[in-house]
Amino acid sequence: MFSYFFLSMAETVGLDVDVDIYEPRSFCHRGPAGCNHCGGIVSESLVQRLATEGIRLPNDVVQRGIESYTLHMDVGDVEIATPLMEQRIAAIYRGNGPKQSEKLDTHSFDGHLLKLAKDRGALVIPQLVTDVRREGERMFVQCADRTENGYDLVVVASGVNSRLLDLLETELPEFQQPDRTKTFICEFHLGRDAIQETFGPSMHVFLLDIPRLEFAAMIPKGDYVTLCLLGDDIDEELMDRFFSSPEVKNRFVDGIVPQHVCHCYPRINTRAARPAYGDRLVMIGDSGSTRLFKDGIGAAYRTSKAAAKTAVFHGVDAESFKQHYAPLCRKIDTDNKVGKFVFGVATLIQKAKFARRGVLRMTVSEQQSTGPRRMSGVLWDLFSGSASYTNVFLRTLHPLYIGSLIRNLVSANMPGNGVAKGQVSSKEGSHVQH
Amino acid sequence: MCSTKAPDGKLVAPSFQIHAHQVEKLPPCQAQCPNSGDIRGWLGVIAQHHKNGLTLDEAYDKAWGILTERNPLPATIARICPHPCEDLCSRNEKDGAVSINAMERFLGDWGLSRSLKLPRKGTRRHAESIAAVGSGPASLSFAYQMARRGYDVTIYEQTTIPGGMLRQAIPDYRLPREVLDAEVERMLDLNISFVWEADVGGVVSLEELRGRHALVFLGLGAQSARQLGIPGENGPGVSSGIDYLRQRKQQPQSHRGERVVVIGGGNTAIDTARCARRDGADVTVLYRRSEAEMPAAAQEVEDARTEGVQFRFLVAPAEIVRDGGRVQHVVVQPMHLGEPGAGGRRRPIPSGDLPQEVPADLVIVAVAQAPDWQGMGALATAEEWLHANTDGKVGDNVWAGGDARGPGLAGAAIAHGRFAAEAAHAELRGLPRTYRAGARPVDKGAIRTDHFAAQERSQEHRRPPEEWLQNPEVEIDQTITYEQAHEEAARCMSCGLCFDCQQCFMYCNGAGFTRIEETSPGNYFALALDACEGCGKCIEICPCGYIESRQ
Repeated sequence: MFSYFFLSMAETVGLDVDVDIYEPRSFCHRGPAGCNHCGGIVSESLVQRLATEGIRLPNDVVQRGIESYTLHMDVGDVEIATPLMEQRIAAIYRGNGPKQSEKLDTHSFDGHLLKLAKDRGALVIPQLVTDVRREGERMFVQCADRTENGYDLVVVASGVNSRLLDLLETELPEFQQPDRTKTFICEFHLGRDAIQETFGPSMHVFLLDIPRLEFAAMIPKGDYVTLCLLGDDIDEELMDRFFSSPEVKNRFVDGIVPQHVCHCYPRINTRAARPAYGDRLVMIGDSGSTRLFKDGIGAAYRTSKAAAKTAVFHGVDAESFKQHYAPLCRKIDTDNKVGKFVFGVATLIQKAKFARRGVLRMTVSEQQSTGPRRMSGVLWDLFSGSASYTNVFLRTLHPLYIGSLIRNLVSANMPGNGVAKGQVSSKEGSHVQH
Repeated sequence: MCSTKAPDGKLVAPSFQIHAHQVEKLPPCQAQCPNSGDIRGWLGVIAQHHKNGLTLDEAYDKAWGILTERNPLPATIARICPHPCEDLCSRNEKDGAVSINAMERFLGDWGLSRSLKLPRKGTRRHAESIAAVGSGPASLSFAYQMARRGYDVTIYEQTTIPGGMLRQAIPDYRLPREVLDAEVERMLDLNISFVWEADVGGVVSLEELRGRHALVFLGLGAQSARQLGIPGENGPGVSSGIDYLRQRKQQPQSHRGERVVVIGGGNTAIDTARCARRDGADVTVLYRRSEAEMPAAAQEVEDARTEGVQFRFLVAPAEIVRDGGRVQHVVVQPMHLGEPGAGGRRRPIPSGDLPQEVPADLVIVAVAQAPDWQGMGALATAEEWLHANTDGKVGDNVWAGGDARGPGLAGAAIAHGRFAAEAAHAELRGLPRTYRAGARPVDKGAIRTDHFAAQERSQEHRRPPEEWLQNPEVEIDQTITYEQAHEEAARCMSCGLCFDCQQCFMYCNGAGFTRIEETSPGNYFALALDACEGCGKCIEICPCGYIESRQ
């Protein structure tokens, strides 16, 4: 995205620049060889923002339009419809689908972006960058075959699943790479019909009382379902507990979790690089600063655009990035701190059954009515990353939200209440259990 | 994810872990090479020289050393080998096979130009004296492999010059005699001596040789030309291909014919035809099958056409007709192709059309050759070819190789000599024989050709066709340049062996790969299995098929 924005902006001001993109992977490959380690959700706000930038996601890139979220808890499920009916979330593959998947008429999101950048004039060099070093006023990029090229600016968009940042940390003393945590992503081949029947056009989110699990979601994509587990160093014990929970098993035919076809343990950025810039050097996306747990593609969009704007209109020295790029990184960082708090509250809700009942009842009620959908909106934005964590948090401070939550907490936990007894069924697709 | 069952007995957790490990595989080029040459090895040293602290000159020297481990005559063999190694090169599907043949030739010439010494294997000298009969590629290879292991080797050669068929039959425009001379000369540094005009089987019997030497290697070649068995074959104006080529080498200026008919479809037939063209004759090659079945190298056939050689396919010679003692024409029977025979080639069958006449004043029969067993005592076999075990042993302390065991490429003869020497050395020293079990062939689908940038194949230079007959003995193919050789080596995809693309190292989520300090081709990263998270990404992204899943 940086190259796309940079070349577009440079053209508007008549700046004659050359951009080389080093990308050894071919995004037409299925499985890990063409993958970019991501759940592959483009939030509705980002879909719209990208469209205004001229980056439209064609039908062959969008695996599935997500029209709702289904929240699964031990106390019941609720389907949360998209807040504005015309908006949809796009489920995409960063590569070209899972390992050994059938050839589909779909294409990689990253491959699409690469093509857009090429169309703008960027040169794609299919080489792996193995070193970046500064020499005087120039930055030098070395590839695996030991070829080296000099540049005025190096933009690092390698993410945190590459060793390049380790090497950069060694090479550039002022740079400290982002903190990371281990996550888990896998793909289940269930078939389009089965997915339509059991998942529908809905992303399934699990709020389960499992220690260290912050977020779990299953995202339907064509014939496959992507499972993402986010939390604090996902390990086998956590996964075993997750797969053993009835809420998860019930998503599969006969309660049997099938063998997955592709899996990995990608790392995610949990604390921004410090600093995410230097003289003639800038880190964007996960390599620099990104949103906690969610909307990594959105953060990549924002950081790449800000970095491009800085480079074109202000300069490529450290001071320019400090003045014009660092504020965005700080803003994301601050929002992530709020996000940590919000996820902390969500963890408390996960642990307290009475709270889960209250949240479920409030959401179910909202989905049945035409009135304000405060809890639904909060949950939607929390799951999708459509709004900042600060925005989400502030909305939870609204007196009407708090009042409604208290009312539902009381009602849901009153003896004889439908939710407490597991009898309420709010709408099609939503139900409540013991 | 180890557990697969929940307390209620239902399968809950997928247990699909892929554990990677690094396994060297046999590349297709080596699998196809008659001498099992370590092609990837010597290309890799050049392609990866900067990764291993070598200058390009040093890399060429080292590559030549690897090449000559198995072949003491690289400059020679590269000039005549039809390079089957290139047929299955993984690069074929992308932008053309690596020019392995041109690279071998470059390195062969490099070694000669730098006067590089053939590599010895250890410094120990052994008392046993070794004999080799014949000085063709099989004997030279055997002698080299024994001599470098510390044995004194005596080569008994029937003529006064070494090289066997390489010398006697390959025309200079394909193999300049200086090249062969220089490569044989270089072998003399290794305790190899020659006995010229040795009539083994005549003056000296095989039994005598066995008495003189601890071990005898027979590299007799296939010196006897086969006949067609048609009327008029014996008499003036008819020659065998091998005799024609020999005589032409000995007396280059003699006049041999104006209308020459060559019968046969092998490389000797094509060499003969092209030599006759160089002598100014109109030449027609008769072959009883179609062009597709011709055993001759396609490039040689094409070059012969360029030089004006005519071809008539699907005709079998029926009679050679003379008038006044001079050949007038060859009567040929038109043929068509029937079902494939035992060798897989379709059999020629008379078509029923009327016989035809092909004018000629010289007929050269170049259909096949066989060994001459005269004086070989018990080894003389009722069958044409000598039967040996895998390593070439044909009797107590007697080994054999080359065309005596069946017609084949010179590269195969080199391999016979090497295998025999390895086995003979093991037997003499009482060492366990280590058979060449070899690595598994690399899976074709494991090579990710799209990882490699497209790069045009460097072709060897060729002199313009209009000069070929003007300077008939000057070599047509020229050696590629120093720079081209480097570029060409870099095109090698290193099938089945790590070449330091670094992708596994860079993209492993578990940081399971660590750099090795002392690197060499195939030896760049160590994989810590306890760090492996079983995702299989390294296997998928490995462009050369080196990393695979542990079964």
